[in-house]
Amino acid sequence: MTESAIAAPSMSRERVGFSAHRVSVIAVNTLTEAVRQKVFILFLLIGLVFIALAVFFAQFTFGEQMKFIKDTCLGVISVITTLIAIVGTAQLLPSEVENRTIYTILAKPVRRFEFLLGKFCGSLLLLLLSMAAMCILFAAVLWIKEQGMIRELSQSYVGESPAAHVEAQKQIEQIQTEVLDVELVKALVADLAKATLIASVTLLVSTFSTSLVFNVVVPFMVYVVGMLRGTAAEMWGAHRLFMAVLAVFPDFGLFSIADEINLGKVVPWGHIGQIVTYGVARTLVIVVAAHLVFSRREI
Amino acid sequence: MDAIRTEQLTKKYDLGWRKGKLLALEKLNLRVREGEVYGLLGPNGSGKSTTLKLVLDLVVPTEGSAWIFDVPCSKVVSRLHVGFLPENPYFYRYLTGAETLEFYGKLCGMRGATLKKRIEELLDLVGLTRARHRRLAGYSKGMLQRIGLAQALIHDPKLLLLDEPTAGVDPIGSKDIRDLILRLKGMGKTVLLSSHLLAQVQDICDRIGVLNRGQMILEGDVQTLISDQRRLSITVQDLPEAARARVEEAVRATGASIVSVGHPQTTLEALFLEALRKDQRREGEHD
Repeated sequence: MTESAIAAPSMSRERVGFSAHRVSVIAVNTLTEAVRQKVFILFLLIGLVFIALAVFFAQFTFGEQMKFIKDTCLGVISVITTLIAIVGTAQLLPSEVENRTIYTILAKPVRRFEFLLGKFCGSLLLLLLSMAAMCILFAAVLWIKEQGMIRELSQSYVGESPAAHVEAQKQIEQIQTEVLDVELVKALVADLAKATLIASVTLLVSTFSTSLVFNVVVPFMVYVVGMLRGTAAEMWGAHRLFMAVLAVFPDFGLFSIADEINLGKVVPWGHIGQIVTYGVARTLVIVVAAHLVFSRREI
Repeated sequence: MDAIRTEQLTKKYDLGWRKGKLLALEKLNLRVREGEVYGLLGPNGSGKSTTLKLVLDLVVPTEGSAWIFDVPCSKVVSRLHVGFLPENPYFYRYLTGAETLEFYGKLCGMRGATLKKRIEELLDLVGLTRARHRRLAGYSKGMLQRIGLAQALIHDPKLLLLDEPTAGVDPIGSKDIRDLILRLKGMGKTVLLSSHLLAQVQDICDRIGVLNRGQMILEGDVQTLISDQRRLSITVQDLPEAARARVEEAVRATGASIVSVGHPQTTLEALFLEALRKDQRREGEHD
């Protein structure tokens, strides 16, 4: 044992306010922890397998094939990101308390809000990472399908009249337009906003509950109620108390624009902006609520 | 200035609906002076860990207040100068020893070459240099305790809070930790430790406090508390038998009584360590 380790120069003492650096350190550590968990890998693998399988779908017309692939892949991405948002966030705080790792962290000059925010940001990084992986595979599937369709189309028009070739070229351009569809990006942006919001709901629940099952089931129920909010409002909109209670639940139905896109509708960017603003605003309110609960919690 | 000061510090835990409250700590007035090693003793459930948690603001006091270097414990700034080793520490099992220290160092605002140098020094200090790239999942209990000590020291704190620092550690590791605490004291650090090992506490602590059922039942300077002022012991070496008889006679002549005469005993710990040292020497000779 060396004496110098004990006599090391003191660290800078002036930083006592909010530190984005500390938040990022906790976020990266949270991401590392999540990536090494089998449940996360399992969800991601399931998602990747379903997306990859879409490439083998080869029935109906070219247009119908594309529609089916987009529909399936967007659906799979939506389900998997929702699952990762809930399950990945649900165990963040309980595992820290149960394993007592939280003691050594909060015994350092770390604010509870920094800890909470770091954990949440780590969860969002996980969402981004898993979504990026699925999107890359989705793009690869679309590209493979596009190349296959073009090849098939080109072969079927060999020896045909020039007019037929013009028609074939038109179809190829249509396929390329279908693949490079900006509407898909809009659907994915809305999906990410939705997953962020459900992750914040899960974070809030986990600040007062230590049960993993509770932390998974409650956000899932909130999600289901949120998805049905629009329908419920149409049916029982006249009841003020009911509507007041319903207003507490985020409107998750707002984020479901994949169906419209698949029907060929163009969703304006302005609408996407509104959805994202709604999601971010709701998320901020919920994170602040989570902070208020966690700052008073005894560990 | 006191390193730690508590006034009427009380903690009642809520046991849940219709189950009442558990009094874990009652009106504790504790003063740990700067530069001393203070031992907090007591049976399980006596309030030792609760005291440490209150000082670290991990739980909120029901009544009373606590300060670290005159800064209220409720403020984050109070923990700038504190290193904490919890009882049976758990760390992230997927991190290596070096990564663990890097993580805690970064939390303390350290980075770059300063942090790397500090990590090297601390790994050397706690004897884990060779295990630096091994994940903590593969560490023994003693190794976890040592990496725990290293993380507590990462930012060179002035005050160390050690909850059962030698729990589950073998005698050699335990002695290393004891020696380290004494060296930290020599560097001017303040140490508050809770322990069940009374012999160890006696060796390293300047003052002790005994907690029982949340109350401080005994406190004071270790040497004063354990010395029996009515008795006197003189240890001599190579005293001839005839001289011994004359000494005993001289003592009786003063009217004092001899309580015991015998050979002083070594401790089991010293015997154990000596045997291991001899064995290692023998192994070295064979090699």
